This record gives sequence, structure tokens and C-alpha cells, in this order.
Amino acid sequence: MNEIIAILISAVLSWINFVLIDIWMGLPEAPGVRGAEAIGKDVEKRGGDLGGGFFKGNIVCSPDASAGTLLASCAYYGFGGPAGGLIAALFVYFGNRICADPGYAGTTGALTTTFIIWAVSFIGITPNYFIVGMVMAILTIQGLYHPLSSKLIGKMARKMNRNVIQD
Amino acid sequence: MINNVDIGTAISYMLVLISAIIAGLLLRIPILPEKPMRNSWTISIIFPTLIIAIGLYTIINIYGFGNIYSGVIIGLFSALFSKFLLEKAFPRPDIEDKSITKSG
Repeated sequence: MNEIIAILISAVLSWINFVLIDIWMGLPEAPGVRGAEAIGKDVEKRGGDLGGGFFKGNIVCSPDASAGTLLASCAYYGFGGPAGGLIAALFVYFGNRICADPGYAGTTGALTTTFIIWAVSFIGITPNYFIVGMVMAILTIQGLYHPLSSKLIGKMARKMNRNVIQD
Repeated sequence: MINNVDIGTAISYMLVLISAIIAGLLLRIPILPEKPMRNSWTISIIFPTLIIAIGLYTIINIYGFGNIYSGVIIGLFSALFSKFLLEKAFPRPDIEDKSITKSG
């Protein structure tokens, strides 16, 4: 398959995978640690959405589905098969526990990514494209323009009934 | 071979899961965490006992020790680890700020 097309497809799949799982697991609802709270309030101050800001902060502060997606892609590539993804899920879980996180989002993300990479390997998309694709996907959320991306995340979170929990 | 997956490997993975579930039930580990599950810190059979079992067995399998016996032993070990050691090795955080309710 053409390299550019493969990277674009894997970027889109990675984006959908990590954003949906992270929102479903409630990342926009509340900050897990103080750092995530600070990031969320700062994003809101700069014209963004508080829920989207908490989402960004939680991603920074512990390995959630974004890290699970990236690590599963790397491990799948490194071990040359789905075994890498299963090992990545185990270590993402231990990493989650160290980062004061119950670990559902990261582990689920790693396992779903392993399945997705295995499924698309039949149409010629290999895990190395997913490594590039995931870096591009996380760049759109964490790197380009925080107010816009946080508003998009906030909107999606409200649609999925994951509103910010008020004290 | 079905889609590059060896039947023997698939059977040993099934045995890992079955052994972890049976050992977990015998050790009275809850099957599922309490709701809402995404905020729960409860150790259960589905999560994380099975994740630990599959991950450990995959590592053992890569080093060439994967067979039905090691599968059963890994399943049993995972249940014992989840029940007795996990909370000590990776303790729950002390949430000092009451406004912070969820762990991201």
C-alpha cells in the first residue's frame, strides 16, 4: 500500500481509538492529579473547554489510551506480532498504577490497538505506520491549538454523557 | 494455522484464561469491579487479573516456555498476585484533595 495513504489511515484509526476510549473512560470528567487540574484550568483560561482541558491534563499525567495506543504499536512492531500488544497492555497497566490511575483507559487502548493493527495487517498496513499515525493523532490534540481541540473534546464528551463533575 | 495463529498457542491462551478465572473464583476475587467501573480501584477477575495473566504468559511464551502446564501455572500465579501482592506492589494513591475525585 502507498506509504502516505497507510499513514493517514492509521492516524485516523489511532485518533478515533484513543479519543473515544479516553472520553468513554471519563477523562474529561475530573482531573486525576493536581497537575491535570492545573492544565485543565489553564486551557480554560486561554479560551478552551474545561472538560477538554482535564482530558489533556489527564493524558499528560498518566498513560491513558493515547499512550496505550502508541506503546502497543511500538511493541507490536518490536515483537513482530500481537504478542507485543499484549505485553504492552500489561506494562501500561503497571505504569497506570504507578501514576495514581486505576488503569482501565490505558489497558483498553493497548488491547484495542493490538486488535486494530492485527485486523488492518491483512490490507497491508503494518505497525510502523501506526507509530507515525499515533504521533500525528496526539499532535492534533496536544500540540496544535489547545482552545480549539479542547472545545472539540468537550463537545464529544457532552455527547457521550461525560460532563465535568462539579464539586 | 488460522490467520497465522497456531492452534496450540490459542489453546494454551485459553487455558491461561480459564485457570486464572477458576483460581480467582476460588480466592473470592470479585468478577467485575463495582460501578461506575471506570472510577473503581477494586481488583477483579476481568480486570486486572486476566490482563496480568495474558501479559505474563505472552512473555513466557516468547522465551519458549509456553505450554499448557506453564499456562495453568501462570493463570494461578496471576490470581494469587492480584489477590495478595498487587495492592502492596502498586498501592492506591492517598487522595489528599477532596475536589479531586477521579483518577485519570
